[in-house]
Amino acid sequence: MIVLQAMVDGLSLGALYALIAVGYTVVYGIIQLINFAHGEVFMVGAFGSMTVWLLVPGQQLGLWMLPIMLIGGMVASVAIALLMERVAYRPLRNSPRLAPLITAIGVSVFLQEFVRLFYGRIPGFPDAKANVTFPTIEGVTGTAIKLGGLDIDRPTIFTLAALIVCTVFLYLFVNKSRIGRAMQATSQDPDTARLMGINVDRIIMIAFAVGAVLAAIAGTAQGMMNTNINFKMGFIAGLKAFSAAVLGGIGNIWGALVGGLVIGVLESLATQVMPHGSAWKDVWAFVVLILILVFRPQGLLGARVVDRA
Amino acid sequence: MRKHRLAVAGAAFIALSLTATACGTRSDNTNAGTGGATQDKTAKIGVIAPLTGDLAPLGLGIKNSVDLAVKQANQNHTIPGWTLELDAQDDQATPATGQNAATTLAGDDDVIGVVGTLNSSVAQTVQPVLNNAKIVEVSPANTGVALTKGEDAANPKRPYANYFRTCTTDDIQGPFAARYLFQDKGLKQVATINDKKTYGAGLVASFETEFKKLGGKIVSHQTINPDDTNFSPVISKVQGAHPQAIYYGGEYPQAGPLSNQAKSAGLDVPVMGGDGIYDPAYIKQAGSKSDGDLATSVGAPADTLPSAKSFVDAYAKAGYKDPYAAYGAYSYDAANAIINALKTSLASADDAKSARQATIDAVGKVDFDGATGHVSFDQYGDATSRVLTVYAVKGGQWAAVKTGEFK
Amino acid sequence: MSLPGIPVAIRRRYGPVARIVTIACGVIIAASAYLPWAYGSDALDNVTYVGGPSFIQFIALGMGLVLPALVVCSIRWPAGFGRTRVGWIRGARALATGLLIIFVVIAGAISVQLGGTININYGAWVGLAAALIGFVATRFLVQEGAPTVNRLKTPGWLSILAIAVVMLVMLFVAYYALDQSNPGTFVTFIVYTGVGVAVLLRTGALGWLTAATGAHRRVMLLAAFLVAFLFPFTQGGSDANMSIAAQVLVFAATAMGLNIVVGLAGLLDLGYIAFLGSGAFVAAMLSGTAMATFDVHPPFIVTMLLSGCVAATLGLVIGSPTLRVSGDYLAIITLAFGEIFRLSMNNLDGSDGPDLTHGSRGISDTGDLNLFGFDFGATHTIAGIEIGRFANYYFILLIWLAIVILIFSRLNNSRIGRGWVAIREDEKAAEAMGVNVFGLKLLAFASGAFLAGVAGSIKAHVDISVTPDSYVFLQSSFLLAAVVLGGMGTVLGVLIGATLLQLMPEKLRFVNEYRLMFFGLLLVVMMRFRPEGIIASERRQLEFHDEDEELAERLDDNLGPSTGAVAVEGASR
Repeated sequence: MIVLQAMVDGLSLGALYALIAVGYTVVYGIIQLINFAHGEVFMVGAFGSMTVWLLVPGQQLGLWMLPIMLIGGMVASVAIALLMERVAYRPLRNSPRLAPLITAIGVSVFLQEFVRLFYGRIPGFPDAKANVTFPTIEGVTGTAIKLGGLDIDRPTIFTLAALIVCTVFLYLFVNKSRIGRAMQATSQDPDTARLMGINVDRIIMIAFAVGAVLAAIAGTAQGMMNTNINFKMGFIAGLKAFSAAVLGGIGNIWGALVGGLVIGVLESLATQVMPHGSAWKDVWAFVVLILILVFRPQGLLGARVVDRA
Repeated sequence: MRKHRLAVAGAAFIALSLTATACGTRSDNTNAGTGGATQDKTAKIGVIAPLTGDLAPLGLGIKNSVDLAVKQANQNHTIPGWTLELDAQDDQATPATGQNAATTLAGDDDVIGVVGTLNSSVAQTVQPVLNNAKIVEVSPANTGVALTKGEDAANPKRPYANYFRTCTTDDIQGPFAARYLFQDKGLKQVATINDKKTYGAGLVASFETEFKKLGGKIVSHQTINPDDTNFSPVISKVQGAHPQAIYYGGEYPQAGPLSNQAKSAGLDVPVMGGDGIYDPAYIKQAGSKSDGDLATSVGAPADTLPSAKSFVDAYAKAGYKDPYAAYGAYSYDAANAIINALKTSLASADDAKSARQATIDAVGKVDFDGATGHVSFDQYGDATSRVLTVYAVKGGQWAAVKTGEFK
Repeated sequence: MSLPGIPVAIRRRYGPVARIVTIACGVIIAASAYLPWAYGSDALDNVTYVGGPSFIQFIALGMGLVLPALVVCSIRWPAGFGRTRVGWIRGARALATGLLIIFVVIAGAISVQLGGTININYGAWVGLAAALIGFVATRFLVQEGAPTVNRLKTPGWLSILAIAVVMLVMLFVAYYALDQSNPGTFVTFIVYTGVGVAVLLRTGALGWLTAATGAHRRVMLLAAFLVAFLFPFTQGGSDANMSIAAQVLVFAATAMGLNIVVGLAGLLDLGYIAFLGSGAFVAAMLSGTAMATFDVHPPFIVTMLLSGCVAATLGLVIGSPTLRVSGDYLAIITLAFGEIFRLSMNNLDGSDGPDLTHGSRGISDTGDLNLFGFDFGATHTIAGIEIGRFANYYFILLIWLAIVILIFSRLNNSRIGRGWVAIREDEKAAEAMGVNVFGLKLLAFASGAFLAGVAGSIKAHVDISVTPDSYVFLQSSFLLAAVVLGGMGTVLGVLIGATLLQLMPEKLRFVNEYRLMFFGLLLVVMMRFRPEGIIASERRQLEFHDEDEELAERLDDNLGPSTGAVAVEGASR
């Protein structure tokens, strides 16, 4: 029973990681850049939906608020992701590998601090230096649903549903739409894609935007799951999502989804089954990350790009 | 030739400017500025507390309360011939920063005493620095036992003679909570969770010992990482053990969400903690279902005690931006303990630095009625008053349930 | 770097006028030092007097006078002396730019410290206006070619004199900067120093200094060491600055170790703080105090070596994936390793693992060192000056830093060092040429880690306590930033980077809240505009500016023979 319960908890964690991991993987697939600051896009998404909730008068908690909040989060995180791409990464596209990675660390620290320092300065907004309590939207938060001895948290249901919907949309987008096919072409061979009349800069921006949209959904979901958000929520979540992306095979969108779920379930099981699991669970997660990077850098489903020199 | 002319011109210009400077009014003015008749000598009382970050609300309460005590002393000329000043340093609740703050204060010859710190872990690094400089340290909030009694609990030995505290310690607070849950509430099965920091782990350890001694059972013992935000795996584990209550050792930034998530997951039992969760922010983060959650805090409730009334009023009148928070009254007493000691130690001193040792000795002997009750210290530097209060969340507010003296 | 938009023809035409304007502006700036700059005495070092310049104003006065002097010199000796070309106008332009920055900073500092631009008095406005006009005027001056002062033959005594002067100036700068409690004064002074160095660089004087001192490298190093050694004696027994100085040295020594890994071998390490931490924890566990977790207390020399070896072993462990992984994947592995270290130190507390570190409380009392009867915890009186606890540690740290620098430069100039550079530039080519890539990479990790581990063992005693909180990812990124900002692969650059990064937050308490935000911004801006760092090794510079033909040629001249030597050496092997 406890193992089953752990699986359920793990699936909801994993769905979060999966949603974030897609962001790493699409960007990587196209420009071979590890967007280290993607965790912060996720964080900004959570704060974006929080902001929208605060702006709607009367502290509404009805389920109809959820889509509005999601859109708010998406706007915020897409804006940040595009700004980041334009200002920090694009000028460095042809410099040595080290440069964008260090830039990414800088962007990451900057965004965390910016939110920490200035979010609470807006009149009527809570101080973001400590945890910010996330609104408890009716229906998707509240007492867990009992299902044959299992407790299924309501946010879990929302997160899993979001993951399924996103997967379907992502599939249609990548395989059926013109832009999606242009993305595939660019990822296979950017130079030829450019010759074929594809605006590569635009494709890269779209890749960042797609990642940001999913990250915003994950941010809102985590807000409801943990009942609070804070400025540093992106760091560890980002690292684990990156592990998920690598586990699935970086550059491979479906790999990121599978990898996320696997990492989430493993983490949850490690907490329950391993001795002193809750203290060491992050250590196990990182050990898994290192082992994958060393022994199977192409991931479970295989990445398109294997040579990581 | 032309070269020479240039050189001469340059030299002349420089000479001129130097002369002009020498004739300047700078030196005259500075004398006029400080020309007072009988200048009071200055002694500084330092504060080391988190003024930024998660725990800033508590730290600012400490700083303001000390500020209030210092201002009152200056107003009443408590120490004739001396003006007291406040020097507040931020420790960001991290030991290394706290140590830098302590070194800064120790390097200032005017500093005679320090109120702080908030965190026991920070106190560990601050103690030795201040002890080297013979500066007295009075903490309003450190509850770690080892700070006054050393590492070996069976053989208490005071590690630093300059260290005192106005609050009670974990070895009183934990057992007090255990007795409340076992005797008053009649609960026999409790799960404990702690954040593995000095404060949280110490609190839980002393709670568990007492609870088992009373005949209760610790059904699950869990730890969390202080930077976690999702506690569902831990909660699932605790849930499987079917406890009647959860005792949490740690502070409200984790305790609030923990309580909230536990209740969402269907684990509807009261969460109890120490003074680290006794803060309005806890209730906000724990959400609407937190009614019935419990916390112990040191001393009697500040706004009910008659001796506290004047402090609360004066604090309100002084118009500080931040509330005095959980440790305001203790900080006020800590500052006043130092000020009371200064009455004797500074009386015949020429400067603050030479009076440091005398101040340490004098603080050990203080005996007065403060905002939290009677203030005096035992041979380890611990407060002799051992009054504690259990608070419960009722309708979104902390309400005192039981006040008692621990014996 | 000529400003685009002003064609040479126009510059020729307005050159004479521009010269006169520049001279006038310089004199006005100098004169403005005698005017009050602010309305309140709390800004800078009290700049409210008429006719009585403060120290900050005095430097402005001096710099103001140098500007006309440079222009006059460019008229008198337009072609330099004999065959030696001096960058008069280059210097003047740098100085004018610098003065503009200085006055903007000063105006900013006054308005921040006193609350609003309203508090800036007319003197500062005059100076700012003159600096602005001077800045524009110097753009119209025709620049001479690159200075060749560095080719000047210098007699030995003059070089040594120059070294002495430079060292004294450095001692004074360090003393004065650390002595400032007013953040405005501190910032202004740092900007002054930067402008001074820039002017020296542009005129060619720095090149001369480098050449002159390069011939007397030993004297130079000894002098630098001596000056650093004398520094505690300028503190008059106060320990507050020495505690900062000791932290700077720990940080610099660690950054120098990271410099081997990142700067020389080109392996990005985002978890380097773990090596410092492991050294510190080993030393603390063996310190023999009540908190220590092992009941063994070897002499400190043994502990120190042991700390280094434990760190080096960890370095080998974390370096071993380099056999299969490189690039950003390796960076992520090191980051994960750093996190594992932090979490493990938190967990080895007796309840979730063996009690080695007391968990997050850490080992809070490591005691003081006692080497050869010298008690580092006590205050000693040497030559009538009190030397406090932190000053004692400062000395031992200084010796350690000197050893680290020695090791670093020895490695850098050896076959190993050239092997690292080859790996950094092109791993596959290096392997094809017979460089033992894997072995050298492991060596880089192990030696870097060893140096950090030893530094950690000293840090454990300086800090008194060792807690996992002090060894987190942010600290790793600070170290990396020190290396990157200063200039990867250089000694001086990394020393400057480490000093700035460690000193700034201590002295600029008022920006403490915004410190990290600025840090993040700094990394982004630096990577965008000067990825090679403050002091760039020339080879690196070319890597980031491969379109710069002039630089490439110059490098070819300079590096040609030495790369040739490698080839010969390789052949004769």
